[in-house]
Amino acid sequence: MVKSGALAILVGRLNDVLQYAVGEPLNYLVNWGRIYSLWPVHLETACCSIEFGAASGPRYDLERYGVLEAFGSLRQCDLLIVQGTVNRKVAPRVRMVYDQMPDPKYVISMGACSNTGGLYFDSYNVLKGVDSIVPVDVYIPGCPPRPEAIIQALIMLQNKIKKQKFAPPELKQIETKVA
Amino acid sequence: MTLSVGPQHPGSGHFRLIITVDGDIIVKAEPDPGYVHRGEEKMAEVRNYIQNIPHIERPSIIDASGILYPYVLAVEDLLGKSAPERAQYIRMIMAELNRITSHLYFLSIFGIFLGHSTMFMWPMGDREVFIDLSQMIGGTRITFSHFVPGGVRSDAPDSFADKAEKTCDYFEGRLKEYERIFVNNPLCHQRTVGVGVLTKEDAIKLGVVGPSLRASGVKSDTRRDEPYDAYDKVDFEVPVYSEGDSYARLRVHFDEMRQSMSIIRQCIKQMPKGPVKQKLPPQLRPPAGEAYARTEAARGAMAYYIVSDGGNYPYRLKMNVASFRNLIAIPYLLKGVHLADMPTVYWGLDYWPVEADK
Repeated sequence: MVKSGALAILVGRLNDVLQYAVGEPLNYLVNWGRIYSLWPVHLETACCSIEFGAASGPRYDLERYGVLEAFGSLRQCDLLIVQGTVNRKVAPRVRMVYDQMPDPKYVISMGACSNTGGLYFDSYNVLKGVDSIVPVDVYIPGCPPRPEAIIQALIMLQNKIKKQKFAPPELKQIETKVA
Repeated sequence: MTLSVGPQHPGSGHFRLIITVDGDIIVKAEPDPGYVHRGEEKMAEVRNYIQNIPHIERPSIIDASGILYPYVLAVEDLLGKSAPERAQYIRMIMAELNRITSHLYFLSIFGIFLGHSTMFMWPMGDREVFIDLSQMIGGTRITFSHFVPGGVRSDAPDSFADKAEKTCDYFEGRLKEYERIFVNNPLCHQRTVGVGVLTKEDAIKLGVVGPSLRASGVKSDTRRDEPYDAYDKVDFEVPVYSEGDSYARLRVHFDEMRQSMSIIRQCIKQMPKGPVKQKLPPQLRPPAGEAYARTEAARGAMAYYIVSDGGNYPYRLKMNVASFRNLIAIPYLLKGVHLADMPTVYWGLDYWPVEADK
C-alpha cells in the first residue's frame, strides 16, 4: 500500500524524467489530444445560447473542430463557455461549475454581456464581466456573436493550447460551498 | 427525496427546479426562476423611446420581432400616429418569420429531450433558411431592432417575394418529412401522449397563454380576437387541440408554422407599394398618458403597459411576457409525472427563462 504522499513524490520524479527525456514529443501528443476533444459544459447563462445552438447545428457544425456539445456530466468537461449575461444570482453557480471541472480547463466568454456587461452595463443586477469570477482565455465580441465568431474563438483557443507545456495535474482537495 | 435540477442541467435554459420524488414519480415541483433577471423594466426608465428598442428585444432574441411588436404599437398609441400600410405588412412578415424560427428552435430542443438527434439537426438546419430570409429584411441574423415607432427601419428588397415563395415551398415538404420521422413516430407517441395533462379549466384558471392554452382546447389567439395592424385582412386558422398533453402542445406548434407560412404568402400578395416609415422627430416626446398594447408573440400573448409623463423617457414600462405566465403551470403539470418525462413536460410549455426573468 503506497501512501498518498509517497505517490505524489513518485509522480513528481516521473514528471522530471518525462520532462527531460520525452518532453517535446509528449507535449505535442498531449496537446494534440486536448485540442480535438474540447467538451463544453452545457451552462447557459443568457440568450447567447441560441447562437451556440445554431453553431452546433448542421450549417456551422462545431463537431468537425472536435467540439462536442456534451450533454453529460460537467466532471468530464474541460471547456466552460459563458453564454451571455451573468447576474448576481447565477454568478456563484458559475464559479461552482468552474470549480467542479477537472484540470486542465479553459473558459470562453461569449457575447458583450459576459465580456463587460454590454447592453446591461447600468443594470442593478448584472456583473460587469465574467472575468471577475473565473479566468477567461478567449473573449468573443458581439451581441450575440455570429456562429462564425464562435468557431474563430475555438480555433484561437486551440492555438493557445498548442503552446502549453504539459505538467501532471496537482493533487488537491476542492471545497465547494452550496450557496 | 428532494432533487435540485439546475441551473446547470442537460436541458435548455438556466432555470432551477426543486423536485420531490417518491420512487420515480414527482410529487412536488417548485420552480426557482431569476437566474437571468437583468432589470429590463428599470432600465427602460433611464433610456429614451428609441434607445429602449435594442434591450427590450434581448429577453427573447429567439423571437425578437414578436417581443418588440407590442412596444412599438404602444408607443405609436401614445404618439397618436400609425405606421404606413406597407410597414404594417412588413411587420407582420417579420413577426411570422420569427414565429417559425422560434417554433423550429422549440422542435429541435424537444427532439433532444426525447433523445432524437435527427430532430435536433433538421429543424436547426431549416431554421437557418428562415434566418437567411429574415436577414434580407432585418439585416442581422436574429437581433433585428427593425421595428420603430412609425414604421420599420428598412424596406424589403425586390428579390424577397421570390425567395420567400421558394422557402415556403421547400419548408412545406420538410414539414411532411418531420411528421413522418418524428410526430407520427411510435416512440414520440409513447413519451408524450397523455403526459403532463393540463385540463381546459386549469388552463383558464391559471392564466396560461399561447400554444399551451390552445393545446388545452381554448380557442384564443390575439391575432384573431383583437386584430392589430393588418391581421384582420389575412385569412388564417387557429389550431386547437383538446387533449392538453405534451403531444397536443407539439402538434399546435407544428400547425402554427403552416399557418404562419400561409400568412406570409398572403402578406406578400396584398402588400402595397409606398413608404415604410413615417417621419417622426429623432427625440420622441409623447404627451402625458398611458398606453397598453397586446400582440401574439411566438409563446403567447405579449403585452406592454407604458406610462408617459411627457418627457424623453418612459415614466414606467411594464412587460407582460408569455413565459412568465406559463411558469405557474409547471408545478401542476409535473405532479404525478415520471422523472424521465420531466424534460419533455417542461420544454413542452415552451418556457424560455430569459424572457420570463426579464
